[in-house]
Amino acid sequence: MTNDKFSWKERILIIALIVLGIALIGFFGARAMRSYVRLQQTGLSTGATDVEAIRGWMTIPYIAHACNVPEDALFEALGIPEAGNEKQSIMQLARKYDLKRADIRTVFQAVILRYQQNAPPEADGAP
Amino acid sequence: MTDLTDFFLTGMLVYGPLALSLALMLGALGAPLPGTLLVLAAGAFARDAIFNWPLAAVLALLGVAIGDSIGYFVGRYAERYIPRRIQENDSWQQAQDTFNQKGGIAIYLTRFLLTPLAVPTNLIAGSSGYTYGRFLVFDLAGEATWVLLYGSLGYAFAGSWEVINELAGSIGGVLVGVVVLGGGIYWLVRRVKSE
Repeated sequence: MTNDKFSWKERILIIALIVLGIALIGFFGARAMRSYVRLQQTGLSTGATDVEAIRGWMTIPYIAHACNVPEDALFEALGIPEAGNEKQSIMQLARKYDLKRADIRTVFQAVILRYQQNAPPEADGAP
Repeated sequence: MTDLTDFFLTGMLVYGPLALSLALMLGALGAPLPGTLLVLAAGAFARDAIFNWPLAAVLALLGVAIGDSIGYFVGRYAERYIPRRIQENDSWQQAQDTFNQKGGIAIYLTRFLLTPLAVPTNLIAGSSGYTYGRFLVFDLAGEATWVLLYGSLGYAFAGSWEVINELAGSIGGVLVGVVVLGGGIYWLVRRVKSE
């Protein structure tokens, strides 16, 4: 390729770059807009991690810590032993004990709700 | 989220910031791991008092800098295998000179703004003869910006870090598109002027 000749190969490369650039901007721009709209609808949560939406990668000790619920209450509700399962994710436990993830979520939400209802009201700093 | 991402998120909960450090190192080497998501998660875990944030930030920086450095040295090693014909080409020499002059800003920006281009930039830096000392300075500055920026976002919005990750990833994609489009237009204008 010489410097002064605008070859077909070069033209194709330039067109490919421009088309690729426009495609990337269009695709990711649309995705960014969707995320932005979703963020506006749900709002930014500044609180601690929302474990109402329990994810498969979470461990029981993490859920217990984030929701201020005793670990053993969650293990007991699932009917599985704590020993050997503390480092397992919800996904791994579901596989190991043949449980459905949706069922685990429902059980945990019930336990969390029960503890939250029974918890004493937090002091607001007022005398 | 992929199984690999889930695996590392669980690993971060069980083994702490060391798992984050390892994941970021592998991501810097090109493994398909969403580093930004993991840094956002680390910020959220710090908010939950599961992570000690200063320790997590230092280990994250260390892991990603090791990964970037390996990428740089792979590029330097690979340079030997680039045919002499290409290395002596004017365009190649010009590209090397340009990277040596302006590579610092490319290294810095690809750490946190144009992250999909980070791995190729490491390889280019290594193969273009860019000195390792300069590479490391810009690399650490960029990665520190990345870790502090997204870690703080994860900390501040601990309940929404997954949505923020989606938005950040999409904005990164748009910026890469702008760079590619800009490159195409710049090339076109230069060629038209020289015609």
